[in-house]
Amino acid sequence: MGDFERVMISVADEKEMMLPTDKTVSLEALICDASGHGNLRHQYLVKEVPVTIFVNDRELVTLLCTGHHLDELAVGFLRAEGFLESRKDLESLRIDEDTGAVRIASSLDASLVEHLWQKRTITSGCGKGTVFYHAIDALLATPVSSDVHITPAQVWERMQDLHRLSQTYRDTHGVHNTALATPEQILLFRDDIGRHNAVDMIIGHAFLHDLRLDDKALITTGRLTSEILIKAAKVGLPVIISRNTATSLAVELAAALNVTLIGYVRNGKSTVYSGLDRVACSVSGEG
Amino acid sequence: MSLYLDNAATSHPKPQAVYERVRHVLEEVGASPGRGAYRLAREASAVLADARKKLATLFGIADPQQIVFTANATESINVVLKGWLRPGDRVLISSLEHNAVVRPLARLAQIGVQVETVPNSPSGHLDLDEFRRLLTPPPRLVVLVHACNVNGALQPAEEVAGLCRHAGVPLLLDAAQTAGVQRFLVDEWALGMLACSGHKGLLGPSGVGMLYIRPDLDVAPLREGGTGSRSEEEQQPLFRPDRYECGTPNLPGIAGLAAGVEFILKEGIDAIRHHELELATMLEQGLEELPRVRLYRPEIRGTGAVSFNVAHLNPGDLGHLLDAGFDIAVRTGLHCAPLAHKALGSFPAGSVRVAPGYFNTRDHIEQFLNAMRSLLRHAGR
Repeated sequence: MGDFERVMISVADEKEMMLPTDKTVSLEALICDASGHGNLRHQYLVKEVPVTIFVNDRELVTLLCTGHHLDELAVGFLRAEGFLESRKDLESLRIDEDTGAVRIASSLDASLVEHLWQKRTITSGCGKGTVFYHAIDALLATPVSSDVHITPAQVWERMQDLHRLSQTYRDTHGVHNTALATPEQILLFRDDIGRHNAVDMIIGHAFLHDLRLDDKALITTGRLTSEILIKAAKVGLPVIISRNTATSLAVELAAALNVTLIGYVRNGKSTVYSGLDRVACSVSGEG
Repeated sequence: MSLYLDNAATSHPKPQAVYERVRHVLEEVGASPGRGAYRLAREASAVLADARKKLATLFGIADPQQIVFTANATESINVVLKGWLRPGDRVLISSLEHNAVVRPLARLAQIGVQVETVPNSPSGHLDLDEFRRLLTPPPRLVVLVHACNVNGALQPAEEVAGLCRHAGVPLLLDAAQTAGVQRFLVDEWALGMLACSGHKGLLGPSGVGMLYIRPDLDVAPLREGGTGSRSEEEQQPLFRPDRYECGTPNLPGIAGLAAGVEFILKEGIDAIRHHELELATMLEQGLEELPRVRLYRPEIRGTGAVSFNVAHLNPGDLGHLLDAGFDIAVRTGLHCAPLAHKALGSFPAGSVRVAPGYFNTRDHIEQFLNAMRSLLRHAGR
């Protein structure tokens, strides 16, 4: 308990706040130790703002995010959820930062997607069950086909690259970092309080710039859960790499969707949970 | 309003007369048949006699007393398998049999009944050459599903019946899917046993089935109990149908079944079959035009059941999408027929089965196909 620190947010005068980046605020907080002694110190906090996405004037969802790259965030979210399919669907995009709204006009008839959105799958016990829990995901996510290969050394190097790019994390310890990469280099970096948001920004950027994804890897600091896996598979990302570990359902889905899932990338090591054929690594045995 | 396309599980809706007859028996007759001499009890007995007579007419059975009412086709099959087969007996079955056959036989196999399976092609065609070969030495019983409940594949029942007759082997025909749709003549084909449900093609309510056993076959009953006849004797009567019917029967169900059979006799079984097969053909043609669809098309179609899958989509998910997105009822998975799915190549996930009935229309099929088109427009990347 000796090194236990508790951060108490004090009432801070906005004028006194430090604003080192557009993603953080600073405030004075009391740093206490277990003996009851404390010091007032400036702390960087990552911003959290609500952003509401409207599609064709219909309110769809409110995301809590860091508040940057809202165009990518909204478009990526809509693409991954099936509300946008191609660039031609996107007629206009308007960001109202004052009200925290992103308004998108789309030509795609997404009424079916909207009707089925987030509805839990119900199946009978007669036959092998589904790995999906949302019906619409089963429709939108198909096995990923790709020729991309990556070596364990490249996995480790790209993870180190990701950490080097994470200024906001170093300042706040409050964001997840995500990157889009080829085996040789990181192409795009995004961070956010939500690991899903950061992935959505990557997807949104690729969507807006017609960037193919089937030869690239997604690198993240977030846990490898089913939601991230499904999101990536729906846009055809063949490789997902994380500093963190994977969940059982994510691994099951990765196998079903032919996604290479690599987790716990630390100290030069990594754990390949599925899609071993895309990882150039000699296997010496089990146990 | 729901679009019901699961008639291979149970037919819905029923002819109006079925609802009326069930209600009439419940409200106006009420009594237990064969148990009393008063007017209402006599009327109740007449309900049973009338139903037996109509079924005998439909199936070409000269003696209606050989028809036994059961709870469903599964019970009928259980009566035969457990009352006819003994340890050491050999039984032949097709590769398309339902769990109503497979599971009782799995239990009987534990006491020494030997089960051999005749192969079917991936389109559901029975290998008759292999069947002929397996008839020597003669097995104790042959069990054949008349049409596969997964994809409607019709089996050569008349030919198999002829081969069985020649070999002196009784044939148990499982007509759960074909009764009320396909013509078959029990006496003329010299069928050993016929099992079917009353709530599918026969258009009756659920909870009633029927069993026919050829008079010369001594099948032990599955249950014993009160029959209202020879009550002074402790032993179950040996005459039919009392040998196999004990306890109070499902009178409203049987009355409804009789009304369903009346409807079939009036409409004409050929007209019913023609309509259902026409809808199945329309389904197959429409599905074939869609991307990623794999049809399990039968070599010879006997019922309206159409089975398919969409690549990379679990059939259960697709069924749920049709339900949640369009209020369309189809049956997905293994359809209680894992053996058939293995033969057709759709095991272990199963398939989506669309089974139109006599009351479905071409508009219904178009509605279903439009839903599929709409879903598949969104599918994949």
